[in-house]
Amino acid sequence: MIQAPDLEFAAVLPLLALAVGAFGVLVAELWLTARGTGPNRAGTALVGLSAAVLLFAGILAAQGFATGAAPSFNPAHPLIRLDRFANFATALVAGATLLACLLSNGYLQEKRLHHGEYYALLLLSAAGMALLVASVDLVSAFLGIELLSIPLYVLAGFDRGALRSNESSLKYFVLGSFASAILLYGMALVYGATGATHYGAIAAALDPTNRLAQIGVGLVIVGFTFKVAAVPFHQWAPDVYEGAPTSVTAFMATAVKIAAFVGLARIATEAFANVEGLRALFGALSAATMVIGSFMAVIQESVKRMLAYSSISHAGFLLVALAAGGDEAHAALLFYLAVYSVALLGVFAAIVSLAHRGQEAERFEDFDGLASIRPGLAAALALFLISLAGIPGTAGFFGKLLVILAAVRAEQLPLAILMALSSVVSLFYYLRLPVAMYMRPLRVRDHRERSDFLELGVLAACAVLVLWLGLAPNGLPALPGLHAVEWTRASAASLTQLP
Amino acid sequence: MNELPLLSLVTFLPVASILLLLSAEAAAAFGGVRLWPGLWRVTGLVSALLTFALSWLLWAGYDPTRVEFQFVEHAAWIPDLGIHYYAGIDGVSLLLILLTTALVPIVMIASWKEVTHSLPSWVFFLLLLETGMVGTFAALNLFQFYLFWELMLVPMAFVIGIWGGPRRIHAAVKFFLFTLVGSLLMLVAILVVVDLHERQFGAMTFDLVALPGSGGRALLDTVIPVAGAPWWQTQGWLFGAFALAFAIKIPLVPLHTWLPDAHVEAPTAGSVLLAAVLLKMGAYGFVRLALPLFPLASAELVPVFFGLALVGILYGALVAMVQTDVKKLVAYSSVAHLGFVVLGIFALNVEGLEGGILQMVNHGLSTGALFLLVGMLYERRHSREISEFGGIAKPMPVFAALFVIVVMSSIGVPMLNGFVGEFLILLGAFEVSPAVGATATLGVVLAAAAMLWMTRRVLFGPVEKPENRGLIDLDWRERGVLVVLLIPILWIGIHPETFLKRLHPSVLELLRVMEERAAATPEGAAGPESAGTAALWWPPEREAGG
Repeated sequence: MIQAPDLEFAAVLPLLALAVGAFGVLVAELWLTARGTGPNRAGTALVGLSAAVLLFAGILAAQGFATGAAPSFNPAHPLIRLDRFANFATALVAGATLLACLLSNGYLQEKRLHHGEYYALLLLSAAGMALLVASVDLVSAFLGIELLSIPLYVLAGFDRGALRSNESSLKYFVLGSFASAILLYGMALVYGATGATHYGAIAAALDPTNRLAQIGVGLVIVGFTFKVAAVPFHQWAPDVYEGAPTSVTAFMATAVKIAAFVGLARIATEAFANVEGLRALFGALSAATMVIGSFMAVIQESVKRMLAYSSISHAGFLLVALAAGGDEAHAALLFYLAVYSVALLGVFAAIVSLAHRGQEAERFEDFDGLASIRPGLAAALALFLISLAGIPGTAGFFGKLLVILAAVRAEQLPLAILMALSSVVSLFYYLRLPVAMYMRPLRVRDHRERSDFLELGVLAACAVLVLWLGLAPNGLPALPGLHAVEWTRASAASLTQLP
Repeated sequence: MNELPLLSLVTFLPVASILLLLSAEAAAAFGGVRLWPGLWRVTGLVSALLTFALSWLLWAGYDPTRVEFQFVEHAAWIPDLGIHYYAGIDGVSLLLILLTTALVPIVMIASWKEVTHSLPSWVFFLLLLETGMVGTFAALNLFQFYLFWELMLVPMAFVIGIWGGPRRIHAAVKFFLFTLVGSLLMLVAILVVVDLHERQFGAMTFDLVALPGSGGRALLDTVIPVAGAPWWQTQGWLFGAFALAFAIKIPLVPLHTWLPDAHVEAPTAGSVLLAAVLLKMGAYGFVRLALPLFPLASAELVPVFFGLALVGILYGALVAMVQTDVKKLVAYSSVAHLGFVVLGIFALNVEGLEGGILQMVNHGLSTGALFLLVGMLYERRHSREISEFGGIAKPMPVFAALFVIVVMSSIGVPMLNGFVGEFLILLGAFEVSPAVGATATLGVVLAAAAMLWMTRRVLFGPVEKPENRGLIDLDWRERGVLVVLLIPILWIGIHPETFLKRLHPSVLELLRVMEERAAATPEGAAGPESAGTAALWWPPEREAGG
């Protein structure tokens, strides 16, 4: 007789919801097509369905977070542990995917790309992220990374008729597979050196002087660095971000970054905690990433490429938190991921809501004088960019403050100073859009006159979040329940408590 | 505390009226109604005047005999991180807040004809700027200070960039980037100080001084070492980071290059607020933060700052002399004036500090008025070249009279405000070093020469250009604006005691805090009780080795 293992389904509920939701979307599309519903109406219905699935997954994660339990799926062989850190990250991923999903509707209609697979692939990728952030084992972590990447390769090439989109997809696929191979090779070496795949067991068995283990750890870090687009493994990002449909870029630049950074933070603290020089490695990577990301962003002429390089430099800022290490830094990491994603999704929502008849606002000139015809949109876009640049009063500043504080506490002063200086450079390129919108005369351009109401909703939601997280991240007398700073701290505290 | 939160009202009334206007706009858009186009401007002006009236209540309620911060408000904001909403004013902030709230309605009226496009944004940015400026002067929590400090940059950059001259975008971006470099390094330094405080006292706080009566510890209780710690925890480097931010803002030569660009390109209202208030932020930062937090480093670096101030005074005056553009000339004379302010502050004695702070207000009034006058001339002739004018006194006698008075006030003629400030500063400087005092006095002469030469070429002599014959003299709006500015100019000149009385306790308190903190620092002459907190963190052998 085989005894059925004691499974705790609570540990995989958000993951299951996302995966089942993805197939639900596929089936729903078949049904809608069979009924002869037009592509746009069907698309809107599918957006609604996906949004409901994501909302449900987010609520499940939030509930798990509130109870504070950390169930493992199979306590005998824990591959997945849904602790607060994972729950928080899952909720973030679900939120980012939800916003990306909502801002896709109008854009896909304009581009005539409305197909149900789009939303199914988004949900599948999000499921991969939910798996990655909760993984406490090399095997499930790898599975998570592949599950999040493969749908993205398809999504990057979703604009089948466009050469650039195809190029983007192929590039991402080839380089991504290469990175996956390196990651897997590293995992194999770690397994060879320690005889374990579970993070806790690796941490216990890892001999920091063992060359094999060192190389293995290094290769695993390289694999993750590719996913977060940190220098020197960043070259794919600008091309892929530029070529992919803008709504996909929004998803890639935010949700993927959340999942990969959370996965990296977990593996670095739970499995490789006693590897010497790991923090120094993160420090060196972050310094290179900040500097190269910011300076390359300055010379870009395309808005999407500028955003791609700027997201590389944000990866550098996030690596500062990893270089600092400790609960405080991990809390800062989560907070920064949240504020970065919110602001960047807002920027992309503004860009996609200008797309008209297949044309997109891609160059800086396309934004000239926008404030005079779309004042609300211009104001929101300026707010998001100012937040990304880290000006006080916005969420981005608070994120930067927490990361710099963590670096100061860890006595990583050079990184803190470098981060401050890169922020100045970042202001230079982020200001280019507000300057164009407010200070240059209008050029006649074929912008859409009205945004889709979902896009407006995303813009409004992001603006509210940016102001909330920037001005009162720990609740207001009027809104006592919203303690974002405390949430991130509680999440980070659950990270290192291994059984 | 139990009565009206007056200080918060003064700070947030401008932003509150923005929110009101925005919601009215949104409601109108929703209901499909068009709002009256003058609504923003009129509401903005009313709100600025109301703010000014409220700040008079601050003036009236301020007790000049007390040394501690007054109108204190303290509320939890992010208590885990030691971030509170903590506002309070002393004599220094009181004068500067009053200057700010007075100038905002004045520039709104003065720019009534100059600014005609994008009016809602204009009012929006001016009022946001006002909240930023007042908030900075009222902040006693460093997080709050930093927030308002940078909050000012955004509206100012937009004011320059949207309504400025032909090279406005260049000027706006340069202004923003220059000031941000210093600010962000200061942020790192603030966090280092907060971290040091937490290591010494076990709790995190951004409060500069403890809330009176709470018995808590604040940043001014932190012992900041001079040596014997990692380099980034020492007073020298931390002071350097703060000083860089403030020196860029003041601006001290050689960090001043953003100033002429920003001033020349900015619209009149922007120039006035930039010169009158934003430049004061740097000097205010020294007085409020850098000197009390790092007394030993400040004392050690006095020669450096004296040198920079003298270079600023002489360079500013000499460069002003050769300018052909009136506005640029005034901008460079600002560099010289701010050199005086720095000179006074770093004399680190009562006369110098009082003079320096009073000169901040004086410069705000005189240079503000000068920029207004230049703006009025520009509106008529669309030129600021000195060679385009000459003999303006004939067609515009009222303008000429006011111009001469303001120039006199700017160069420090007795009975006008500039004299009092410069006199006190020179008194303080002579006390420290007669050579420095003498050189600065030479600077007074040079600055006066530059201004008077310009006045002669613009106002007097024959009217050579035919365009200048038909110039219309100032109307009632313009006269009113200037006369309002002349009142404090004369008042400070004739009876400075009204203002000095309010500054005196605050300045004495600053010097006392500096002395106390210098004594408590391990390398200083450590008294037996002050060594108590220091020994917690600094091992005794390091203290002895100092």
